[in-house]
Order: sequence, then structure tokens, then C-alpha cells
Amino acid sequence: MNLAAGVQIVSFVILAGMMLGAALGVVLLSNIVYSAFLLGLVFISISGLYILLNADFVAAAQVLIYVGAVNVLILFAIMLVNKQEEFYTIPKRWIRQGATGLVCVGIFALLGTMILITPWSKATTLPFSVVENTIIEIGKHFFSDFLLPFELASVLLLMAMVGAIIIARRDFIPESMARQETISTPLTLPERPRELASSTASED
Amino acid sequence: MNSGIDLQGSFIQSLKELGLPADLAKALWIPLPLFLMIIGATVGVLVSVWLERKISAAAQQRIGPEYAGPLGVLQPVADGLKLVFKEDVIPAKADKWLFTLGPVIVVIPVFVSYLIVPFGQNLVITDLNVGIFLWITLSSVTPIGLLMAGYASNNKYSLLGGLRAAAQSISYEIPLALSVLAIAMMSNSLSTIDIVEQQSGLGILGWNIWRQPLGFLIFWIAALAECERLPFDLPEAEEELVAGYQTEYAGMKFGLFYVGSYVNLVLSALVFAILYLGGWEFPIPLEGLASWLGVSETTSWLQVITASLGITMTLLKAYFLVFIAILLRWTLPRVRIDQLLNLGWKFLLPVSLVNLLVTAALKLTFPVAFGG
Amino acid sequence: MFKFLKQVTDYAKESVQAAKYIGQGLAVTFDHMQRRPITVQYPYEKLIPSERFRGRIHFEFDKCISCEVCVRVCPINLPVVDWEFNKAVKKKELKHYSIDFGVCIFCGNCVEYCPTNCLSMTEEYELAAYDRHELNYDNVALGRLPYKVTQDPMVTPLRELGYLPKGVVEPHDLPAGSKRAGKRPEEILEEIQSSAAETVNK
Repeated sequence: MNLAAGVQIVSFVILAGMMLGAALGVVLLSNIVYSAFLLGLVFISISGLYILLNADFVAAAQVLIYVGAVNVLILFAIMLVNKQEEFYTIPKRWIRQGATGLVCVGIFALLGTMILITPWSKATTLPFSVVENTIIEIGKHFFSDFLLPFELASVLLLMAMVGAIIIARRDFIPESMARQETISTPLTLPERPRELASSTASED
Repeated sequence: MNSGIDLQGSFIQSLKELGLPADLAKALWIPLPLFLMIIGATVGVLVSVWLERKISAAAQQRIGPEYAGPLGVLQPVADGLKLVFKEDVIPAKADKWLFTLGPVIVVIPVFVSYLIVPFGQNLVITDLNVGIFLWITLSSVTPIGLLMAGYASNNKYSLLGGLRAAAQSISYEIPLALSVLAIAMMSNSLSTIDIVEQQSGLGILGWNIWRQPLGFLIFWIAALAECERLPFDLPEAEEELVAGYQTEYAGMKFGLFYVGSYVNLVLSALVFAILYLGGWEFPIPLEGLASWLGVSETTSWLQVITASLGITMTLLKAYFLVFIAILLRWTLPRVRIDQLLNLGWKFLLPVSLVNLLVTAALKLTFPVAFGG
Repeated sequence: MFKFLKQVTDYAKESVQAAKYIGQGLAVTFDHMQRRPITVQYPYEKLIPSERFRGRIHFEFDKCISCEVCVRVCPINLPVVDWEFNKAVKKKELKHYSIDFGVCIFCGNCVEYCPTNCLSMTEEYELAAYDRHELNYDNVALGRLPYKVTQDPMVTPLRELGYLPKGVVEPHDLPAGSKRAGKRPEEILEEIQSSAAETVNK
């Protein structure tokens, strides 16, 4: 065993331990903010595992998308709606817990059988080919054998974006709701009603 | 291709000649670039803090630091020492772990980003395939630290500052990434070395700044916003938020934020120099000059001269940009939060998308000039 | 369609104009960088206060006739005049006099109206104290000789901008006897008197 292999094994053990610990923390901790931060740690450990698998672009994209965007948005949502709420005991809580456990065991069994079925030996016996530029390889796959999932994903994202814009733009909200908001009391300053986005785009 | 100086290879080779096994020689090499990176980044911060204080003073017709060392060059060191010896206060109702972890998460990605900054053909710590993408990725981790610091301080100003910082860096990440993407498209690579290589050969005329007149403006605005520099320093706006997420911090934890912001500024300037100002390239094409004078590219003294000139050029360009950032700081008033988000989403994002489209079209029509 | 295009062109024009203004601002800031610093290294260098500077008020105990005009003209009746009527000489005898400089606004009305000129303005402005009650000066403190910048051997006195010779903006290392721009008051007075004498002669 040379230096590189030793470093690889040690870092794999560390990353895997970190990931499992953080994932357990996400599920088990009662403070939701800790859970959100630990989720970021899980994502970072996963990207570390990608680096160990020589998938540098995927690792970077994992950090950018999951840590930099998804996790930050989760944190945003939590911190903007930081409402303290009393937990009360639900009468037949065991049914919920049982159902959750069942689903979790089912998924675990599914993944386990998938791991067992997958012919891993084939991957190891193949001639060890080093991919020079992972980005070019990913691009080639995207536009040949993975074209359909790629395009479907982009359409999905487009749909999400259009939905977000419709929610964000005021002129699609019914008139009656918009009118109710502008109640003026003696104590409020006269305020210009927010202009509709369709009239002028540049001025605000 | 001129390979230039290979420090790693020659270091390992010389250790092997001393009779050490190859693995041990490599293991001995590994920490050296790391220390070099940390020391280099820290010295860069000290220099930029001194520059900030002196240039700010000059812009306001003051003298600035004068007594600590010649021309006050030791003033940033004195500041740093003062921060180190200050009491480390943790507020009673703060979340101790997150409070400590916040500044660490802010600082580490910034330092790690120095991995991809090249100072010469082989004067780079790692030439990654994902290169410049790593920088974008790592700078997207910072808002987590800011949110953590803002939340853990248990203070409304801190929380608002943290949320603002996160919102700001998320919204400016996109135009930043899009303007970098246009560059990557022209050089067919994300590697910083390849990006500089693509600009070489013609001297100052080959730099990307001529090919991306819109892109470099977008990049610079977005980079200033990412660094929370003054026209965009809303997260720390003292008139509104005391000091934003830094309100409760003192001592070395505050020092980490301070160091982090300046390292980020220098790093952004370095990346700008690499992407748009030809990195280590001299304004006159040196290789052409050498071949015209009849000096071989592999001559050792020529390589030493080009390497040192490369480092000087990179630093000069970067500090010129730091100077512009400081000048902008004393020229422009702070924008409001809605103006900031308007500028980011309604102006920079569409313009950078158009810039990307135009670059793609130009690349298809004039493959010679825009990287075929 | 054309309306949209017009919006786009207007927006582009506005952006260009904004960029132009930012450039102008940068030029101003850059220009300021080449100007001379106006710093006065305070404890070692001090500006000489101007002629009409209203600093700490000086009081001469023996001149005071306890008329209390200073109290009457003061916006807040600040000076405290403690006197006793001496029946033998039929005169007021001043016992104590004090002004609280923590409250005084240095308007100079008392100095203006004092009939015996026992109150006067000084150039002293360094009145900082650890306790605000220390600012309540009694007649002894008010009667101390005022501190003068030009007489302090530790301090380099610097002239203010209005007192520099014409075209000079650097107060350091002025040649001895250099005069400020314009005529001095005594010169103006002399001129008026000589012209008045001429008209009388005519």
C-alpha cells in the first residue's frame, strides 16, 4: 500500500463517519437549526466522497447546488419563520412512527438489494481508464445517452421558475385581495401603491 | 509548450538524490504549498489593509498611519496583534458552538480558494480541471457561515445582517457565474492555467477585457457585492444594523471575519486579473520578444526572469484592482437593500445572460478571435 | 413591440449615464488623492486660533464692580456674582465670582457688555476634564493667565489657512515675518486716518 492509497482509505473512513454522524444528527436532534446546519455537513461529506471517486466536477456542483443554494434556502426559511411552538402529545403517535419506520426500512431494503444486485466486480475488472477531463465526458453523456433525462430536468426547472415568477408578480393576484392591503390609518404615511410590473419595468 | 519552472518536480528529485524514498519526498512536499498559501494570503491581507488605510487617508486629505514602521507599514500587524490579545467575549445567551464555528466557516473557503490562483505556468498549487468553478463553489459556502454567525449571536441586528449577507451573495453569485461561464466558453476550459494561456501571445491586445467588455463590468460589480465592499456593504451597514452579523464578535473571532473579507477582496482581484487581465502575462509578449532576440525558451535565466515577472505582474494587476475598489469605496454611497436586489436580479442577470448569448454567437462566427 | 424597444433603449441610456456619473465621481476622488494632507499632528502641532476666537473667559477680580450686567445679558444667567454691600464706603464688595464652562455657550455677551472690561476672551480651548464639576471655574481659575499656543515650547504653532501668505497652503516652515494676504487692521486704520486727514486739509 503506497501513500496515495493510505490517504484515500483514511479520508474515506473519516468522510463516511462524518456523513453518517451528521445524518443521524439531522434526524435525531430536536433543534431544527442544528439539523439544517448538519444537513450542510452531510452534503459536504458526500462531495468529499465524490472527490475520492475522481468526480471533481460533480463534487464541486454538489457543494455549489446543495450547500450553496438548497441548504442556504432551507436555513433562510427556518430563520424567517422562527416560530417557537409547543409540542403536544398526539394520541395515537405510534401509528405515525410505525409508518415512518416502515417506509424507512422499505427504502433501506430497496437500496440494499440494489447494492447487492449491482455487478460491482465488472467495474473493478474493467481496464482502469483515467478520464482526463471529466467535464467533457459529462457533456458528451448529457447530449448522447442521457439526453432525455437532461432535457426533462431542464423542463422541470423551467416550470418551477415560471411558477415562482407567477407567485412573485403582483398582477396575477386577484384585485379584491390587493385592494384590501392598502388600508390607511391616521398613523400611516401616504405611500405610493406598488406599481404593477407590466406598466414600467425600469422604474420602481 | 514551454513548461517553465517545475518546483515540485525539482524538489522531489533533489530529495530523492539525497537518498529518501519517493513517497517520503512527496509527503514532505505536500505541506509546503499549503503553508505558502496561508502565508501568502495573510501577507496579502496585511498589504491590502495598509493600502486601504493609506489610500483612504489620501482620498480624504489625511496622512493615515505614520508612526508604526516606515510609512506606517506595520500598522496592520499592530491591529492584528491587538485583536489576538483582546478578550474573546461570547454573549451569555449566544449559541456557543455555532458562534465559534461561524467565522471559521466564513474564512476557510476563502483561503482554500487560493489553491487555483496561478502566478505562472507552474506556479500554482493545483491545476484542477474544474479550476475557476471551484472558486465559485467555495464562495457559495460562505453565506452558511454568515447565517450561522447571525443566528448564533442571538441578536436581531446580527440575524438581519446574516440574512442580508446570504441574500446578497446568493443573488450576485448568478451573474458572477454567468460572466465566468462566458470566459470558460471562450477558452474551452475551466482551468485557470488554460484561461491565461488562451489570452497569451498578443500581449495586452490578447487579454479578455477586450473580448468581454460587458462581462468584466458585471464580474467586477458582482465580485464587489460578494466581498461586501462599500457600495454593497449592507450586511454591515452601521447606520441600520450596528455592524450586522459582526455585532457580537470581539477579539480573534472578529479578526477572522476581518481577515476573511480582505482575503476575499484580494482573491477576487486576483481572479479578475486572471480572467480578464491575462494573469501573469506581461503587456508585451515576452516569448515573442525572446525568440526575436534569439534566446531559447529553455534558458534557465530567461525562465527565472519570466517567472518572477509573472508573479510581479499578477500582484500588480491584483493590487491595481484593490486600489480601484478602495477608490470606489470613497466615491459611491451605499445602495439600499431593494436597489441592491433590483440591480442584481433585474439588471445584472439579464445583461449577463445576453452577454453569454452574444459570446456564444461570436464564438461560432469568429472562431479565430473568440477561441474556436 | 416598438414600445418595448424604446424601454430597452431608455434603460440602456440611463445605465450609460449612471456609469458616466460614477466615472466623474471616481475622477473627483482620484483628484483628491494628489492634494496635500491637511492634517495637524495635534499634541505636537496646534493651529493658532483666529483673532476673534472665543475661548475660555478671563476674569479680573479687582476691576469688577459687581454690577451684574454679565448676568443680565447672559442667555441663561450663568455667571454667579457673590457680593456684599459695604455700608462704610457705600460700595458693593465682590466676594466670589464663577462661570460654569460646562454650561456656557461662549456667546461672548458678558465680555461685550462688561462696563469695566474685567471680562475678556482668551484663546484657550482645551477644557477637557474628568468631572463636569471641574469645569465650574471660580474667580481664581478664571483669573489664571491664559495658555497660548505660540508660547508653548513643546508645540509647533501653525497658522490657519486664512493667515497664510497669498498662494501658500502649507503652514509648515514659513519664513519668519511672512505676512498674510490682504491688509492688516492697523494698515486699514492708518489708510482711513490718512485719507480723513487729507479731506480735512482740503
